[in-house]
Amino acid sequence: MDAIIKKRINQVLKGDQNAYAEIVELYKDKVFQLCYRMLGNRHEAEDMAQEAFIRAYVNIASFNINLKFSTWLYRIATNLCIDRIRKKKPDFYLDAEVSGTDGLTMYSQIPSDTALPEEEVESMELQDIIQREISRLPEKYRSVIVLKYIEELSLNEISEILDMPLGTVKTRIHRGREALRQQLRNV
Amino acid sequence: MKCHEYEAYMHEYLDEEISTEHEKNLKQHLQQCVSCQKHFHELSKTITLVKGMATVTAPDDFTSKVMNKLPKEKKKVGIQR
Repeated sequence: MDAIIKKRINQVLKGDQNAYAEIVELYKDKVFQLCYRMLGNRHEAEDMAQEAFIRAYVNIASFNINLKFSTWLYRIATNLCIDRIRKKKPDFYLDAEVSGTDGLTMYSQIPSDTALPEEEVESMELQDIIQREISRLPEKYRSVIVLKYIEELSLNEISEILDMPLGTVKTRIHRGREALRQQLRNV
Repeated sequence: MKCHEYEAYMHEYLDEEISTEHEKNLKQHLQQCVSCQKHFHELSKTITLVKGMATVTAPDDFTSKVMNKLPKEKKKVGIQR
């Protein structure tokens, strides 16, 4: 796989744009899934995943061919999703209405320590509940949980993707797991 | 050792980085402590739930949409001799 990718990247660098389509085909599902679980919305996930591939194409000359292409691509996609999450949630004025959410305030977007009420749990599909609870995680925990348990990447690779020391990745995974444990208690 | 210290062992275990000694201590403690047992069970269940989520795939026209949005290739300037 790596040999094929390297060959295609070299073709792209020589100006063969069509060679890039094969790279997109190989990674589109992984990148889309990463964005979908980060953002919890198909439409936004598609936008971000497309943007990640466009940015990777535009910057392909700066990619170090000796590194793993997927790590680099996942880094671009993760950063785009984190930016999107941050833009959606202003840091201040917790009681201000969040634009485009029809009356939701920042308070309603803060993950709570309490588990879901049981009657609410019963009326939702399990997948939707889990996705909703992942979406309620702060972005720094959400990214490590998605990379580890959805994309099934190693702690070392996650540390490379997030450009963060291994110790920090571990701490975030522990805290993310604890937060999700509290949230999914009644499920 | 206090219960919250065993919590750290639980995470070492879940990261598959626990030493034999810590694992032995954790197992012994879990046999005695109902609340840590529950905690550990909830953590394991959380992971099972997240890992068990259905795989999602990109829309069918994803690649063609990306290819259509790529910046056009730069034309070579000048005449090649």
